[in-house]
Amino acid sequence: MSSTDKTVLASAGFHGDVLTLVKRIGVRMQNYEYQHRKPMSTPACAQMLATMLYGKRFFPYYTYNILAGLDADGKGCVFSYDPVGSYEREHYRAAGTASALLQPFLDNQARALARIPDYIGRKNQQGVVFEPISKERAMTIIKDVFTSAAERDIYTGDAVDIRIVTKDGLEEHRFPLRCD
Amino acid sequence: MAFEFGGMPQFEAATCAHRSTSKALVKHNAGADVDEDEQQFTGPVPMFSLPRTDNPSEFLHQYSDANPDSKVKIQFAHGTTTLGFKFQHGVIIAVDSRASAGSYIASQTVKKVIEINPYLLGTMAGGAADCSYWERVLAKECRLFELRNGERISVAAASKILANIVYHYRGMGLSMGTMICGWDKKGPGLFYVDSDGTRLTNNLFSVGSGSTYAYGVLDAGYRWDLSVEEAHELARRAIYHATFRDAYSGGHINLYHMKETGWERILNMQDVGPLHYEYEAMKEQSMATTAD
Amino acid sequence: MFMTRSEYDRGVNTFSPEGRIFQVEYANEAIKLGATAIGIQTNEGVIIAVEKRVTSPLMEPESVPKIFEIDAHLACAMSGLNADARTLIERARVEAQNYWFTYNEPMSVESVTQSVCNLAMQFGEGSDRESGSMSRPFGVALLFAGIDKEGSSIKPQLFHADPSGTFVSYLAKAIGSGSEGAQTALQDAYDKAMSLADAEKLALQTLKQVMEEQITAKNIEVATVKVNEETNMPQFKKYTHEEREEALTRNGVTTAQAATASE
Repeated sequence: MSSTDKTVLASAGFHGDVLTLVKRIGVRMQNYEYQHRKPMSTPACAQMLATMLYGKRFFPYYTYNILAGLDADGKGCVFSYDPVGSYEREHYRAAGTASALLQPFLDNQARALARIPDYIGRKNQQGVVFEPISKERAMTIIKDVFTSAAERDIYTGDAVDIRIVTKDGLEEHRFPLRCD
Repeated sequence: MAFEFGGMPQFEAATCAHRSTSKALVKHNAGADVDEDEQQFTGPVPMFSLPRTDNPSEFLHQYSDANPDSKVKIQFAHGTTTLGFKFQHGVIIAVDSRASAGSYIASQTVKKVIEINPYLLGTMAGGAADCSYWERVLAKECRLFELRNGERISVAAASKILANIVYHYRGMGLSMGTMICGWDKKGPGLFYVDSDGTRLTNNLFSVGSGSTYAYGVLDAGYRWDLSVEEAHELARRAIYHATFRDAYSGGHINLYHMKETGWERILNMQDVGPLHYEYEAMKEQSMATTAD
Repeated sequence: MFMTRSEYDRGVNTFSPEGRIFQVEYANEAIKLGATAIGIQTNEGVIIAVEKRVTSPLMEPESVPKIFEIDAHLACAMSGLNADARTLIERARVEAQNYWFTYNEPMSVESVTQSVCNLAMQFGEGSDRESGSMSRPFGVALLFAGIDKEGSSIKPQLFHADPSGTFVSYLAKAIGSGSEGAQTALQDAYDKAMSLADAEKLALQTLKQVMEEQITAKNIEVATVKVNEETNMPQFKKYTHEEREEALTRNGVTTAQAATASE
């Protein structure tokens, strides 16, 4: 995981590619700030990451990425990617070895609680009260989700790193998971 | 150079006016026999880094999900139903929204219609990244055409830019089946372009794993003189039936109508889940009427 | 001024003992022969107005564009050698589109200006056709007028770029043969709180003042960049012939009669 105070990246897959990718994103963001005299916005970084990943279309980075931060209106944004740069803005996303395990969990928990447009929101559930997810609730969901992953996915365990982006800056947490 | 992705595109762009990066592309495209003078798109594109082997696409194939023996599997988003047809009131484009990686549904909310500009739409089938990246390149080229020439590009020219680009990568493993739809001086335009270099124009196309199902519905109901409402319903029904039968299609329906005044979005992410019961009810109703 | 130029005015890669590069200064002189162009920034947006020299009644004025659309949020006016301007305009457009391609947002006016200036100052660097640079400085000055959008706030921008590759931000700027008189007029009349309509009037009146020919709808070009109320996005708009006629009469620069008489 790597981040500036406004944009965070979670990257799963081959760690060597992750390190290289993160390093190169850092260089690009730094250079951008020198050239354009402003920090790169999260949506701009999202598009840049897509082109960077596609630049290795014929020898891909073996990485699954989630980029998050704040958009131009100050709203939270999450962008998820495939290894060669197909990306989509979403409300929540799980990636990596336990993604198939966790995504349905999030579909159930986060989707039901987030104020998400009707076309996704009410799906498969009835009588759900729609309300914005509080930061505390989001933390609880994240911890539950990773505890479950550590329980059933052999590649997940030890600890989970959590970053929270708000208009006031970045918060960092580490939550221990089972260590076996 | 081979391993390094060509630095920062914005730097590169600074040194390449008009056609220079196309040269860079050709440089890396050692396998294909291409004449760089044929390149007609403005170099945007970052140089692609390739595996240092004689045959990069073969190298990549080893590690992709297309190869069942591979232990390492880089899975790209795949699978789709898209359709488009011309009729007396313009062009209709409709798509599903599912992206799958193997048997896993990676997303149910993909936007498979790319809004190139107010008079041009592109659809996505095949590799999601291949489609969205090259159609973005196309969007850029179309915009530059417009700025340079003071008028909009024709659908024929736009689709040919895309076809020429992907033709240069033939045999490299790109996967793209797209419809380019628009309105120009000649009226409504609809072209099919794929990563083999095929470029066709016709009144009706369907592309993707669910296309056969969509064709079934379309062929049964398609006429040139459909009314606007009939056309919208036909497209919606065709996508719905494809999502029902094709496991790799699903999610939501997006439907666009291309008119002389540009495109208009008719259906915005309509869930196919409830639609099933709508059509079931219609079926029962019509059976009841027949029984009477 | 040119006392010591004799040995040092040929190369672009040699300073004179006084620390000058004469070819660059000559290029600046070339611009002073060019038609006048004026740009004015307001809180609402930016307007540019350019004189167009119609050298023959058989010439079609529309075939010599002086104002160019770089992108929807960005216009460019030129004074000097038309052919040189085309190279720079092409660069600006390509850069703006490449930026959009990579970052999915419009390129800032300053960044576009910067990238064009990067090309402008590459003169003499073993010019090859690929890079677009030449063996001499470009004989053209440009005004970049546009709007940067930062969240919901809009920031109108006006930049002047010269052959040396220097660029400076201005509230109002005139370039070309009438620039000295025009700049003074702008300085006297400019008001930070002026509306775009006020700016239109000032631009046209100033242009009228400094033009040798009688000002008509045929020998000027006008364009604005302002926020389109429907889309809430910055929008480039070049005046049509009719709109120019209207603007001239509206601002009392020409009477309706005169405008028609010039036809």
